[in-house]
Amino acid sequence: MYKVTIGLEVHCEVKTNSKNFSSSRNTYSEYPNENIDTVDIGLPGILPVANKEAFRKSLMMALALNCKTPDVVMFDRKNYYYPDLPKGYQITQMEKPVGVDGYVMINVNGEDKKIGIHDIHLEEDTASMEHFSDYSLIDYNRAGVPLLETVTTPSIHSADEAIAFLETLKGIFLYTGVSEARTDRGQMRVDVNISLSKDDTLGTRTEMKNINSFNNVRLAIETEIKRQIEVLERGGEIVQETRRFDEEKMQTFSMRSKVDAVDYKYYIEPNIPPIKIEDSWIEEIKKDIPMLQYDRVQKYMNEYELSRYDSEIIVKDKLVSDYFEKTISLGCNPKSSANWITSVILGHLNKNDLKITEIYLTPKMLVELIDMVDSGKISSKQSKQVFAKCLEENKEPSKVVKELGMTQITDDKTIRDIVVKVLDEHPDLIEDHRKGKNTFDFFVGQVMKATRGQANPGLTANIIREEIEKR
Amino acid sequence: MVTKEKLKDYAAKLMFDMDDAGYDRTLEEFETVEKHMALINEIEGIDCVEPMTFPYVIYHATLREDEAKECLTNEEVLANSKDVKANQVKVPKVVG
Amino acid sequence: MKTIMDLRNDLDSSKITSEELFNESVSKAHKYQDEYNSFVTILNEYEKQDSNSLLNGIPYALKDNFSTKGILSTSSSNILKDYVPVYDATVYKKLKEAGAVLVGKTVLDELAMGGTGTTAHTGIVKNPWDATRQIGGSSAGSASSVALGIVPFSIGSDTGDSIRKPAAFGGVVGFKPTYGRISRYGLFAFASSLDHVGCFTRCVEDAAIVTDILKGKDERDMTSLPDENIKYKDILNNDIKGKKLFYIKEITNLEMYKDAGEETLEVLTKFKETIEKCRELGFIVEEVSLDEKLLKAIYPSYMTISCAEATSNNSNLTGIPFGPRGEGNNINDIMFDARTKGFSELIKRRFILGSYILQKENQERLFKNAQRLRRLIVDKMNELYESYDAMILPASGGIAPLFEDSIDRMSDRYLILENHMAIANFGGFPSITIPNGFVNNMPIGLNITGPQFKDGETLNIAYKIEEKLGFKGLIKEEYDV
Repeated sequence: MYKVTIGLEVHCEVKTNSKNFSSSRNTYSEYPNENIDTVDIGLPGILPVANKEAFRKSLMMALALNCKTPDVVMFDRKNYYYPDLPKGYQITQMEKPVGVDGYVMINVNGEDKKIGIHDIHLEEDTASMEHFSDYSLIDYNRAGVPLLETVTTPSIHSADEAIAFLETLKGIFLYTGVSEARTDRGQMRVDVNISLSKDDTLGTRTEMKNINSFNNVRLAIETEIKRQIEVLERGGEIVQETRRFDEEKMQTFSMRSKVDAVDYKYYIEPNIPPIKIEDSWIEEIKKDIPMLQYDRVQKYMNEYELSRYDSEIIVKDKLVSDYFEKTISLGCNPKSSANWITSVILGHLNKNDLKITEIYLTPKMLVELIDMVDSGKISSKQSKQVFAKCLEENKEPSKVVKELGMTQITDDKTIRDIVVKVLDEHPDLIEDHRKGKNTFDFFVGQVMKATRGQANPGLTANIIREEIEKR
Repeated sequence: MVTKEKLKDYAAKLMFDMDDAGYDRTLEEFETVEKHMALINEIEGIDCVEPMTFPYVIYHATLREDEAKECLTNEEVLANSKDVKANQVKVPKVVG
Repeated sequence: MKTIMDLRNDLDSSKITSEELFNESVSKAHKYQDEYNSFVTILNEYEKQDSNSLLNGIPYALKDNFSTKGILSTSSSNILKDYVPVYDATVYKKLKEAGAVLVGKTVLDELAMGGTGTTAHTGIVKNPWDATRQIGGSSAGSASSVALGIVPFSIGSDTGDSIRKPAAFGGVVGFKPTYGRISRYGLFAFASSLDHVGCFTRCVEDAAIVTDILKGKDERDMTSLPDENIKYKDILNNDIKGKKLFYIKEITNLEMYKDAGEETLEVLTKFKETIEKCRELGFIVEEVSLDEKLLKAIYPSYMTISCAEATSNNSNLTGIPFGPRGEGNNINDIMFDARTKGFSELIKRRFILGSYILQKENQERLFKNAQRLRRLIVDKMNELYESYDAMILPASGGIAPLFEDSIDRMSDRYLILENHMAIANFGGFPSITIPNGFVNNMPIGLNITGPQFKDGETLNIAYKIEEKLGFKGLIKEEYDV
């Protein structure tokens, strides 16, 4: 049995108005080479000017990952030649990253785990290239976009854990608003390091770079573990190298070995002076971090007694989770609210591709609707109708109820008169009932039919039972 | 020990080459610099000194507010590139 | 030769128009080009913006390592021989807005990495006082264009002494203010932590006038200093009585140069005479002794830091987004070819040295030790500036060298004497060279270096000394030595 050890390096683009070291637009563009400043293409004479918001968001991420933050803003140069790197060096952080020595809690199939964060550093993205049969085209729009790299310690031990970590990380990016973390736009890219060993020492690791979907991360990990096991079982040795995962062939291929590893000649970027990071700034940023998914799940399970399943569904989208919490702050029963959200509202959102903030029903209205059901004013079945009409016509639930004349009959005498009439018409079925046949639902149905569904179901059942007894 | 072969390798990593005599001259320069830099090691307490990157502590520097400003036009971006196609810089095929 | 203020008066009294001045400069530029080679590009279109600054209508020259939109900017290297920028350097923009008129772009040592003026892709620059001699570098053409009387001022860059040394050899004023005082945006970087922008003029007052226009915060340069509410020109005449100057014993002691040539001895003797004149002016001048080991380490440390930074700064020169495209079938080959053809051997040697210095296994021993030495020097200087207002020293140990005898700056004799001006780059100190008379019919210079941020005070001291020495506005044509 082998112990699998995985380390991840996750690159994620930071959402800002302008690039990390220039004032050109940081937006997704369909047209090549139009979001570009002199700095981004490394023209002679340019100087980097560091973006405050990119740094603030990076610090926020570092704090969310429980990292220690530096005393000053500092960047370093990483020197290498590649056609997507116009300056011939990338401005990154080596000496004083925005965060070091952190951790994040994840939950893997019901089990809590702590994943170590080695460091998190802010750098700049490279240009993007499109490859054709015998040439490549360079689009510099992406060059200089702020990029945050999160490096875990080798504390991940399965593909499941890796995915759980990535989902958690993505959740934090979304909750904090640091990034849109869209893998489909290449905003989040993952490097995976894997090693196997039979004891507690770390085996030789291989690396797979730039995997652009979580599903491929899982496949790449599983494939590479299988390959390494095969090599080791054959008595072979794992070579430290960079490998490429081919999703079609479901195999990993060697790209280059560590022998010709590059010396990046890191040194402090001399054009960005160290700027002191005031404690007050850090405190301000801390205040801006919302409660994150992991903690919300804990809270929902412990305080609101929701199931893990429901809790996780609710926290998946921060807007939904905030909506849920708003209903609770308005005095709603958490279970009723959760029930409504998971079984009715999310379905509606998915079907219509909407965000929860885009529907007419506010948390306050939902609470109103739930109250009407709980107080017996309308039936649960009616409430679903009200919900639909409320969204359809942009009307408040109480108004819908009024318009539909939808009040529940809770008056004993009214229901009892109808029950008596129904029973009188079906003496044979009363007999059947006494013999143990289920005719009870038929009577309920008839009462509902006669009241157009407005009779309170509980009350109706009780009266039918009493009236049968009497006979 | 720095050898000519190593120098050639360093040059290759910097993406250029030169004639043989150039490497000989480089080797000589290396010796001079090493010799002089060795003198620095003799300075008492040098290892306790914090390396200096900036000429002075730049107290006044600030980070830039995150405002997008005017960009170069596509023509300006590509004005100095010798090979352009589809508003992009064209190069021989780059193999990952 | 006329100073900026002389020309200002001529323009204001309509004795001459700005366009006439420009044409005069251009024709002189052409006249001297074959012999002295000051320019990479001489402009022929008169272009001027309206302004009421003191520089309005004044012609000037700009070193060819500043970015000028629409005007060739080569950094005197083959790798940029056709490069026409799409943006303006901040200094160029400011001068344009001040109404100054660009006459041409001047020749430099390739990529500003050199001190001889002999390594440009368009040929060597000669000394106006003796065409068999160097003007020095790297701002060679900027120095010679002022020394020849083509323009009243020019802009240069100074990483080790690239303004102040050629100023001395050319008999003109060369000034670089405090690091950050003038924005570096658009200056093709050599060694970012040492690079300064500065000017050549015919007198100290003009240096103040030009710096007053150029200085100020630039949102494009994070290291640029906040604006001040003073004009250096206004404080030039302040009383200097009782101000304290120092010179370094280990640099100026005649005893040390017994074997040196007569010229060196004469330079040092002239320096000592100047010290006496300073005392007559009311300065207190004292000799200070510094650890020779520190002084000897200045040049190797300067080489180490500057080559390392230069290797990285010039990594953008690959011929892909700009510059001549290399030949080859794959991407590496085309970058390789562009760089192999684009750089001269000297530059390549510096880059190899620089990258070696930055290698992981050498960084501590070479790069960081050089940076440590830098701190020791700067700390020592700052300590001295607590008691003194400026340091004065000879700008060079001799006159401008002949082309055939290249000075070995690493040799023991010259190690300190020829390289001490890099101190001002280490600490970003304001530093100015003014003419200090003649030796063998060639001009020599006096260097004055003040504390950080005290640009106006340093100019004030230089102005007073200049007045006393009387070598203002020297040009060969008019000056009978």
